[in-house]
Amino acid sequence: MTRTLLLQQVLNGLAIGSVYAIFALGYTLIFSVLRIINFAQGAVFTLGAYFTYALTGSRFGFNGLLRNAAVPLRLPFILALLGGAVLAGISGVLVERFAFRPLRARGADPLLTLVSSLGVAVALVNVIQYLFGAEMYAYPSDPFGHWPAAVNFGTASEPILVRSIQVMIFGVSMIMVALLTLLMNMTRTGKALRAVAEDPVTASLLGINTGRLIVFTFFVSGFLGGVAGTLVGLSVSIAGPYFGISFGLKGLAVIVLGGLGDIPGAVLGGLVIGLAEAFVPSQYIAYREAVPFALLFIVLLVRPQGLLGRAVVQKV
Amino acid sequence: MTRAEAGNGCLAVETMTCRFGGLVAVNEVSFSVQEGEIFGLIGPNGAGKTTLFNLITGLTPPTGGRLRYRGRDITNLPPHRVAAAGIARTFQNIRLFGDLSALDNVMIARHARTRSGVFAGVFGMAGAPDEERATRRRALELLELVGLADRAHEGARGFPYGDQRRLEIARALALEPDLLLLDEPAAGMNPNEKRGLSDLIRAVRSQFDLTVVLIEHNVPLVMGLCDRVAVLDFGQLIALGDPTEVQNDPAVIEAYLGD
Amino acid sequence: MAAFIATYGFLIVSMVLAAILALSLYLPLMAGQLSLASPGFYAMGGYIGAILATKVFTGAGGLYPVKWVLVEMAAAGLASGLLAVVVGVPALRLRGIFLAFATIAFVEILRVLSLNLDITGGAIGIFGIPQPFATQFGYMWIAAPLLIVSMAFVYRLERIRVGRAFIAIREDELAADAMGVNPTRYKVLAFALSAVLAGVAGALSAHFYNTWNSRQGTFDLGVSLMAFVLIGGSRTFLGPVVGGLALTALPEVLRSVADIGGLPGWLAQFLRDGRLIIYGLLIAVGTVFFPHGLITPAFLTRRSHRAQSTSSGGQTS
Repeated sequence: MTRTLLLQQVLNGLAIGSVYAIFALGYTLIFSVLRIINFAQGAVFTLGAYFTYALTGSRFGFNGLLRNAAVPLRLPFILALLGGAVLAGISGVLVERFAFRPLRARGADPLLTLVSSLGVAVALVNVIQYLFGAEMYAYPSDPFGHWPAAVNFGTASEPILVRSIQVMIFGVSMIMVALLTLLMNMTRTGKALRAVAEDPVTASLLGINTGRLIVFTFFVSGFLGGVAGTLVGLSVSIAGPYFGISFGLKGLAVIVLGGLGDIPGAVLGGLVIGLAEAFVPSQYIAYREAVPFALLFIVLLVRPQGLLGRAVVQKV
Repeated sequence: MTRAEAGNGCLAVETMTCRFGGLVAVNEVSFSVQEGEIFGLIGPNGAGKTTLFNLITGLTPPTGGRLRYRGRDITNLPPHRVAAAGIARTFQNIRLFGDLSALDNVMIARHARTRSGVFAGVFGMAGAPDEERATRRRALELLELVGLADRAHEGARGFPYGDQRRLEIARALALEPDLLLLDEPAAGMNPNEKRGLSDLIRAVRSQFDLTVVLIEHNVPLVMGLCDRVAVLDFGQLIALGDPTEVQNDPAVIEAYLGD
Repeated sequence: MAAFIATYGFLIVSMVLAAILALSLYLPLMAGQLSLASPGFYAMGGYIGAILATKVFTGAGGLYPVKWVLVEMAAAGLASGLLAVVVGVPALRLRGIFLAFATIAFVEILRVLSLNLDITGGAIGIFGIPQPFATQFGYMWIAAPLLIVSMAFVYRLERIRVGRAFIAIREDELAADAMGVNPTRYKVLAFALSAVLAGVAGALSAHFYNTWNSRQGTFDLGVSLMAFVLIGGSRTFLGPVVGGLALTALPEVLRSVADIGGLPGWLAQFLRDGRLIIYGLLIAVGTVFFPHGLITPAFLTRRSHRAQSTSSGGQTS
């Protein structure tokens, strides 16, 4: 394999990987604070994409209930993106309020919460399908003004091209992980969140408003999911609401590989899986879809705490 | 191996060590328990007594040392193999099968002494129905022994605390053990119940030809019941002998009263 | 009557198949394991049935002989059981959410494989699977006994030594271990029994649905099965059966309500197409309000007490 080809594969891998990473951040954030898996993150991710689409004033298609509907707004893309993400964040908060809070109040097993989140995710995604149909949607082109379509990391004679949107996604995921890590480690809110993660009862006895912090966590996680959904939609187009479920499933692989609850781990996991997918030999390209799940299975058997997690000792 | 062949040594704990990361819960503890004795294990909270039980029964893997049961090395056996070898236990925090009836709880412990598999059991072949009946009978006998036979079909979770402890003992006995480990069996009992428990332990020891190791905080109970006592503090063995010797040992007094 | 069977034959058989699959989710649950692997064995069983029927047992004119369907079902069950042991021995050392993830991964891997192998027909799948019965209701000749046998099997299982081992593991795996029950062995057994049931159901379903492709036996099916067991009841074998029967019939009932007319268009369409929305919502509600489902052992005891007291006609003891 030539150096150029190798580098192209690596960059492709990082591009794919940062898409996974940006999805997984919200996922792992909730686990880090509440020790639960919120599979509905996949649905919120989808909602973000659809909200942004709506806010750009685009029209929906023929199949859903709201056929040919359009929001009477034509926001510039960046505002639509932020608006969509905010709406996704609010959706996340609503999911917490109605699905998870009653479970938390009863001290329910995390497994039960996982089951509930699976139900919520499937219900939400199908609601989206019911309202908007299962067709593909694409955002208006040149959303950020006139950008070059791709960035060339190589030379003119041996180009190594990466699409600009992929570079942007990589950049955004790096910024997000940096901001989140800063939040968790350097701010008072972050310290409070870590206290809640350790022991919610003690945290509230210490005067920490756990309720508000949990709402905050779900909002941030939903917001991140919404941003991720829109960026992915921009990169590959919105291929029907079920792409949220697909990401939700692959996201499990990402966060387990990186280490459940570990924020840099989510990015590392995403990049590793992206690279693994990029390096699948061309004759097996059809099996690429199975790579995250094969990795998930192997990691679970060999090192369930993931790359960056600590081994958990069970107390008897 | 008969008692004579084993040379009277039932359980030999040899420099058992257990480390959890930086914390040393059990530190090179060695002692041996003789056949037929009632052996007490005492010490302040957090001294490593329950951890030692977990090491013996295979629930926690040791970091170092060896365990010999009637001469046989059982150091790294998983719990179900330790149980099948003849060591049964109760738990400090009572681990009954709460949703099940008292009878079912005791019947489950017959598992290692019975054999019928899934197909024999479902289709009622190969002696499975007879085995079922025998299991049920045995379980009822044990419930009777601890005085709970009239409530055999009640859910274990609903039993009062003292009765739950007796139920756990009946369950442990269903394993047909030769060594019975009791982890704070008298905790939460009133003086009357404690007396009844002492009597039960003595009765059970003679009736079933058992050796008993007992973790206990209650000093009079230990004095009246145990043939010998070992004292742990911060994971180390600090005294071993008959109850009166140990009670007067300055190191022991220091451990309980000092700091 | 004939008209009823003609209209609802398909639904009734689907209900029975759903109940069987729900039982296959119930088996590992008896041992405290949430395994979403049944859809994978169901898919594999279906492919085995479809491949045998279209490529191996060919040459029968007219209706496909029932005995060959039974052979396919046996083969599917055997293959599923073996695969379950191979996958289960390492995977069942995992607990809780980690096991759930491993089973989800397993189903996805099988799905991608089925999409790409030639023998499974790739993305198109296998179609034109021969029919052993002239009508869809005819499948009840196999489906009904299969359900009854499975129910009887699980009913007996709950009352014998092995079943007690499962339940002990569910209640407290460590205590069960300390009482002489080998957790891994029995978890794998429960998993294998569940796989056999799912595989057998798959082989039959391949004939029933006439085509088989990678869209059968997916994560969605796993979620539906969870709804059946969660709502129906996860503590007694009747729960999954009732859940499977009722929740498969529910969308049909709603569809008829939608056809009554006089309902606003959006509601009618929701009632027609909202099956997964309803299952998803039921799961979310069920986990909060009745995590053990509607049919619990307590519920059954109360009903039998009431039946006894009414039948004795007011005579009290």
